[in-house]
Amino acid sequence: MVNGNSKANVLMMKKLLVFTLIMFVFGYALVPFYEKFCEVTGINNLLKPDVLVKDNNWVDEERFVTVEFDANTRGLPWQFKPLQRSARIHPGEPITVMYEIANNSEREMIGQAIPSYSPRFLDKHLKKFECFCFTKQVLKPNEVRQMPVQFVIEPGLPTDIHTVTISYTFFELPDGASTIKK
Amino acid sequence: MAAVHGDAHGHEHDDHHPSGIMRWITTTNHKDIGTMYLWFSFAMFLTGGTLALGIRAELFQPGIQILQPELFNQFTTLHGLIMVFGAIMPAFVGFANWQVPLMIGAPDMAFARMNNWSFWLLIPAATLLVSSFFVPGGAAAGGWTFYPPLSTQGGLGVDLMIFAVHILGASSIMGSINIITTILNMRAPGMTLMKMPMFVWTWLITAYLLVLVMPVLAGTVTMLLTDRHFGTSFFNAAGGGDPVMFQHIFWFFGHPEVYIMILPSFGIVSEVIPTFSRKPLFGYSSMVYATASIAILSCVVWAHHMFTAGMPTVGQLFFMYATMLIAVPTGVKVFNWTATMWRGSMTFETPMLFAIGFIFLFVIGGFSGVICAIVPIDIQVQDTYYVIAHFHYVLVSGSLFALFAGAYYWIPKWTGRMYNETLGKTHFWLSMFFFNLTFFVQHFLGLAGMPRRIPDYNLQFADFNMISSIGAFGFGLTQLLFLYVMINCIRSGEKAPQKPWDGATTLEWTHLPTPAPYHSFEKPPVVQ
Amino acid sequence: MSNDTVEKQKVATVWQVAKAVMFAFMGIRKKSDLENDAATLKPTQLIVGGIIGGILFVISIMLLVRLVVS
Repeated sequence: MVNGNSKANVLMMKKLLVFTLIMFVFGYALVPFYEKFCEVTGINNLLKPDVLVKDNNWVDEERFVTVEFDANTRGLPWQFKPLQRSARIHPGEPITVMYEIANNSEREMIGQAIPSYSPRFLDKHLKKFECFCFTKQVLKPNEVRQMPVQFVIEPGLPTDIHTVTISYTFFELPDGASTIKK
Repeated sequence: MAAVHGDAHGHEHDDHHPSGIMRWITTTNHKDIGTMYLWFSFAMFLTGGTLALGIRAELFQPGIQILQPELFNQFTTLHGLIMVFGAIMPAFVGFANWQVPLMIGAPDMAFARMNNWSFWLLIPAATLLVSSFFVPGGAAAGGWTFYPPLSTQGGLGVDLMIFAVHILGASSIMGSINIITTILNMRAPGMTLMKMPMFVWTWLITAYLLVLVMPVLAGTVTMLLTDRHFGTSFFNAAGGGDPVMFQHIFWFFGHPEVYIMILPSFGIVSEVIPTFSRKPLFGYSSMVYATASIAILSCVVWAHHMFTAGMPTVGQLFFMYATMLIAVPTGVKVFNWTATMWRGSMTFETPMLFAIGFIFLFVIGGFSGVICAIVPIDIQVQDTYYVIAHFHYVLVSGSLFALFAGAYYWIPKWTGRMYNETLGKTHFWLSMFFFNLTFFVQHFLGLAGMPRRIPDYNLQFADFNMISSIGAFGFGLTQLLFLYVMINCIRSGEKAPQKPWDGATTLEWTHLPTPAPYHSFEKPPVVQ
Repeated sequence: MSNDTVEKQKVATVWQVAKAVMFAFMGIRKKSDLENDAATLKPTQLIVGGIIGGILFVISIMLLVRLVVS
């Protein structure tokens, strides 16, 4: 059906299509926005070093917490493992644990580790002063490297928690990508 | 179409219409397309309903009898997806196709060919959804909200679902563009925006909501797809992504979607109530403003679906307050409908019964919604049958009842024949009874702690589940009566006069013969 | 519509737009006011007004939440 104002109709359609496209891009723009929002508000702070407060180093010697270490890789030919499976420490007591990573491939690769914790609320009580996960790691072909993570579990951890797990997963960064910040 | 009279027949000759199946495949007529949308959505409604009956049959007794847990999960997932994207939304688009041009005095939709396309896209999408049951690994089983990590781990069925959602989204967007352009550019002379019938207004706002959020959904499922197959890590925590972010983006689409499914039904009810009360709609302008208000507010409340997903208290309070404020414009609407009926000369034909049933039950669903909006309560009832009861009260006795009201109200204009009033009323009362039997008891189940999406349950839930299952089968069978009433009406109903309803005032009743001719308003009517 | 007729229409004040938007949020509007709105306000004004109103709405709830939490 031909209408007198079909030109106006087509113009309107174009406007609406552009709007649709903008909203599609907006969906993707929500991803960096979400990350920025979490960073600014301090939610989900996994990859920032914490500052050791000297005055607040009370150690709860009454109890022990078993910390289990876990390591995974995702989609890259690296071998990644902690040098100790677990550690028994007092809350408030700083500890350094070494991880070893080996690039089994014949090319230089860049990767970064992302931590996850169990129980999930451990991130509120875990302070990391140093961690290989803060930066990207560049490994030459067949390079083997040992890297530390230094942390303290604060005495504020609920007393019914006796075992916690800290897990790292290495994944590949594309060439030239900057460090993932969360 | 043997019974078509000379006038319409002449038209068919003029336009060289293909006959038989090709007529329907190639048609660009808004009435044909509207009819196809409605039949399609009814077929999908029966498909989704069959899945629901499978779920209820399994839940009839505790223990696993009929569906293994994997298949049960596929049933709940596909029931939700088919009902939301295959039944309710296309049904409203079908109503828009039929009614928007008739109500604003336009000859057809603005882009007739695109209209045809947006309908026929639905068929492959529905085929993808339904056939996903038969691929290795079965259909998607992670719930209709397809949260990762389940949706990034599932098999081929999830891919089919993702493509189906893509296609359905494209269809909806094209449909909305068509509707917006038609409403804004093709109104008859004198039909100013503020004279438009309420149904047209609600659809205009709904269509804007659709082009606002449907592309976001398309983006979300694209991210899922690339996470699954192209190594991206939008939602994979191990790769630096965040599964909670999926929930945020999904519900940024999902909550306006809820209003996409209810605003057009507000429109239908706002047409039916004044007609059968023989009074103009009380507070027309308030209704328009309230609709706009609901649409805007719906965009800032999404996270009330995720109170238990991990959120700071400040966030929880914000979304709780914003959600509760939506009750204000919704309350204005309910007040206006009631005030329209006040001192009207009411009669209770089937459309009116469904409209009143809508108001009554939708208010119950609205109130349980306000209860769910309260954070401490929501943490208790999250993912229980209380939530199931809540959204079936707004989607079944809300959207679906309004669709029935609209179908009974306009079928005389569409077919030129009256439906059987006794059977129509029977359909209403049976639906009303069985609906409440099915879903009211689910409030109790939810408060007692029965979780959703689980095929088995504790013995203490047995009685209410049995009642609910009996109600569900009754409700399902009742809808076959609706099918019979409609077919009976199309084939052998009594001839309907031009204006079978006393109080009808919109253009399709006052300016067009019954049945509405194949080409209507080729010369636009003049609206005073 | 040519530019002449646009200029001849009454120009809506900011306050008028704000009032229309505020009533829209509540969902109540007098019929005479509505007709006045429809005659004087342009859709763009209303959309811009609506967006600003939405932002103000969000900010005011945020302030309320801050007040409750503090």
